[in-house]
Amino acid sequence: MTRMLSFDNVELYYDHVYALKGVSIELNEGETVALIGANGAGKSSILRAITGLRKIKSGQITYMGERLDGTSAPEVVRKGIAMVPEGRRVFPLMSVKDNLLMGAFTRSDKPGIEQTLESILTRFPRLRERFNQQASTLSGGEQQMMVIGRALMAKPRLLLLDEPSLGIAPKLVQDIARAIVAISRDEGVSVLLVEQNSRMALSISNRAYALSLGQVVLSGNSRELLNDPRVKAAYLGGDV
Amino acid sequence: MEQIIANGLYLGAQYALIALGLTLIFSLMNVLNFAHGQMYVLGGFVCYTVVAQLGMPFIVGLVASALVLAVLGGLIERFLFRPVIRRSKRDESTMLLAAGIAFFLDAVILLLFGEKQRGVPKVVNGVFNWDFRIIMPYDRILIGMLAIGLIVAFILFMQYSKAGRAMRALAQDRVAAQLMGVDVDRYSMIGFAMGAMLAGLVGALLVTITGVNLGMGGPTSIKAFLMIMIGGAGVISGAIAGGFILGMMESVGLSVLSSYGDVTYLVIFATLMIFLAIRPQGLMGKPWG
Ligand SMILES: Nc1ncnc2c1ncn2[C@@H]1O[C@H](COP(=O)(O)OP(=O)(O)OP(=O)(O)O)[C@@H](O)[C@H]1O
Ligand SMILES: [Mg+2]
Repeated sequence: MTRMLSFDNVELYYDHVYALKGVSIELNEGETVALIGANGAGKSSILRAITGLRKIKSGQITYMGERLDGTSAPEVVRKGIAMVPEGRRVFPLMSVKDNLLMGAFTRSDKPGIEQTLESILTRFPRLRERFNQQASTLSGGEQQMMVIGRALMAKPRLLLLDEPSLGIAPKLVQDIARAIVAISRDEGVSVLLVEQNSRMALSISNRAYALSLGQVVLSGNSRELLNDPRVKAAYLGGDV
Repeated sequence: MEQIIANGLYLGAQYALIALGLTLIFSLMNVLNFAHGQMYVLGGFVCYTVVAQLGMPFIVGLVASALVLAVLGGLIERFLFRPVIRRSKRDESTMLLAAGIAFFLDAVILLLFGEKQRGVPKVVNGVFNWDFRIIMPYDRILIGMLAIGLIVAFILFMQYSKAGRAMRALAQDRVAAQLMGVDVDRYSMIGFAMGAMLAGLVGALLVTITGVNLGMGGPTSIKAFLMIMIGGAGVISGAIAGGFILGMMESVGLSVLSSYGDVTYLVIFATLMIFLAIRPQGLMGKPWG
């Protein structure tokens, strides 16, 4: 297994408030890794640090053997990392088509883009039906599929997902979970999945880290964590 | 009646172009460009210099105005707005900067071109006369058509080109646009350059009809902000609607109210105040589309 991404003792601050306090995590090629934890634990901050939206204060982020921290957001995309941000962040007044095309902004191979677009529309047939519709008129679930598709348009090697189940009907959460599994299998992308729905995250990932107050408090194999009494108590609603 | 509509369309097309540049800059950078009118005046003087002084064809003057203003706009963004936006989070900082640039450009125009009214010879001669219902000189028709052509080109560019899509994305969600790989600095610069270019182009178009003088900068900026307020800030359709509505109001005012003296803008301001009290976000609301 090759190491794809690693955090080495990363600290991140918002003004003077810390969000990450010495975080070390790893992700190997082909893996799906989950980050779970309560509100404000620092999950999104890890993703923001990877994409260059936020500068880290100390420590080091390595991607494919090269240093990643200090790289600008557009450059990070070019290196093959795409993110589905928290709260979806669709381009509300653009059509589904234009939203998807924005995902391929860093690419210039027209036939390749067409091909990726076609495969995304096949994976999410709803998007094909709504292709020329304005994004703001889509349901929450459809918007989530669209932004996952938008990220895939970059043809990433690493896909970052920030709470894809947030604000979505329970029935659709399953669809999204299945889509994530299928994407990592079919496209061979590695996935870093941030979720408050810990049960879903643990059931579709290989490994997981639990965060609390900016620190990793638990880590391990997802299947084992699902049965770990500490995890059950803290993250799975205590339904032991 | 037909005459009033024709005049309104002619004026409205120019105004809409000015408003489009202003709203583009606003929606990309959240900057109120108070120097927009001065950029328009500068465009007129560049065209005057190329056509009347150097004796080149009008089309060369148009292109020269577009280029000079695009470069100037790019430089202003890169060396003035960008560092200020980076250092200060307060909106007032860029407003003060824009006002400062307006005064500075006024001074530059005075220094380079003086305070005289300048114009260039008619591009085409003759008058179109439809049964005395619409009487309009051919050069006005030509300039009006050019302006409408530019509006259409701008819309097509924003709608279908990759750069246009990136600018719409940036205006709608800055963070998401960055995550798609859009370089904010680069597209702010392109957007500012395009906005300035549009202002310069209108100045160059109108120098053949009304001429240009130093004093037109401030009033033009004010008109541009009126249009944005009517149509709604940051919306393409709003800028176009605002431009044509103001053009129409002016045209109606000039023919209907002229017997009462110079009251057109008094009436326009009063109407606008009432309108904004009822609908503060303008006709088309806030976001970009
Ligand atoms: N823009 C910001 N400015 C100031 N503090 C912030 C900002 N964003 C996050 N924080 C703080 O940093 C800490 C970690 O936030 P982060 O968004 O990473 O949490 P999270 O685990 O993603 O939470 P959630 O599950 O609610 O999304 C929190 O205490 C939060 O209040
Ligand atoms: Mg979060």
